[in-house]
Amino acid sequence: MKSKRIEALNEKAKAIERLAEGEGKTAEALAGPPAMPQGCTTIFDTGWETNPRPTYPIGNCQASVRDFHGCAGDCWWPAQVPDGLTNHREFDVGCPNVARDWRNLKYD
Amino acid sequence: MGGSRFLLLGIACAFGLVQVEGAAARDRLYYMGYEIIQVIDGDTDTIVADIPIKGATRDASLSADRKFLFVSTNRHLVHKVDLGENRVVATLDMSNDGWDRVMFGLVVDADGKTAYGAFMSRKTDKGDVVVGKPVVAQFDLATGKLLRSVDVPWGVAHLVSVRGGKTLYAFGQDLYKIDTTGADLKLVETVPMFDKGMNILPFWDYAFDNGGVASMNYYTPKYMGLLLVDQASGAIDDVVLKGDPAMAYSVVLSPDRKKAYAVMDDLTVIDLAKKTYVASVPIKEGTCYGVNVSADGKKVYVGGGGSTLTVYDAATLKPLKVLQMASDGMDLRRISF
Repeated sequence: MKSKRIEALNEKAKAIERLAEGEGKTAEALAGPPAMPQGCTTIFDTGWETNPRPTYPIGNCQASVRDFHGCAGDCWWPAQVPDGLTNHREFDVGCPNVARDWRNLKYD
Repeated sequence: MGGSRFLLLGIACAFGLVQVEGAAARDRLYYMGYEIIQVIDGDTDTIVADIPIKGATRDASLSADRKFLFVSTNRHLVHKVDLGENRVVATLDMSNDGWDRVMFGLVVDADGKTAYGAFMSRKTDKGDVVVGKPVVAQFDLATGKLLRSVDVPWGVAHLVSVRGGKTLYAFGQDLYKIDTTGADLKLVETVPMFDKGMNILPFWDYAFDNGGVASMNYYTPKYMGLLLVDQASGAIDDVVLKGDPAMAYSVVLSPDRKKAYAVMDDLTVIDLAKKTYVASVPIKEGTCYGVNVSADGKKVYVGGGGSTLTVYDAATLKPLKVLQMASDGMDLRRISF
């Protein structure tokens, strides 16, 4: 049995612990196919953005802004840029040219 | 009077004949942008038309008569673009029957009435999420209605039509060959790629630009390779390149098919016979997604990613011109008329 690394000290924490009793795994890490969430990118992560270029921005497109639509449109990086397949399907309307229109970017 | 008419007719015919004999292929480059497609004249390398379009462009398929370009946007819209009038004449939404669909890949059938796409679908039913199986489906280009489909493994990202549309190659983690000739679509062969360590992002293939050869690059931990799909025969030439890989999103062939041009942060020339890299120059404007070449092989165009299109001299790889486009872009396609 694994030792507990965190111990509930107050009543609120103990209540949360009781709530979680018997709870199983509910989420998978986004590692390897086919664990990608439905609605997000359909193909495995190519990792090409880890381009071994030695100059800034290391491991990213040159400049990063040139890859914004590519990352957003097919939902490659839904936490960092608008999720173009589900929640922000028309974000490009106000921002077709990110270098010029970035002030119009509005998304949660 | 009558004699004069015949004389004029004769002169006109002679003039017309000279024009036909002297006519060379005229290139049109189509910059596939966001909310817009921009048309570039290949002689002057200037923007000659803007085509407003709803959404962010993705796949494109040329009709057999070369009069229409079908363009998918936002992974669920399909637009029919009249290349003579430079305007969208029809639009379909593939999420049209209660299912919310995303479509990767677009291939228009030879008759121009139907097309194929790779779909993932989802909907809600009484508050529950229902996820459909991934399929490759044929749909009616007039209504958007799915006509028939076949289940495919998760992750199909691109389609290539071969043997006159009798077979579809569906590229995902592996290559799935789909027979279209029967009453039902049938997955008839799976060619392993993933287990061979092949890593592919097949969004760009330049099949019609290359004159019937789809060109896609892939990577293994050791090398870069090219898959060249002959659409007429269905044969695939797997070109393993020697040397440290050049990082590229897309690859297009020179008209004589002796060279290939690859693009990402750099524009790289590949010798297809020797299977080696010939030369490479950094793209001053930055990372590009798309690359194309003029019909005479003298100019190379790179663009997309960001909102620039750079014209290079194919012989020297020196930039000739940089066009500022209206939007960022996904690709750059060439059609010669």
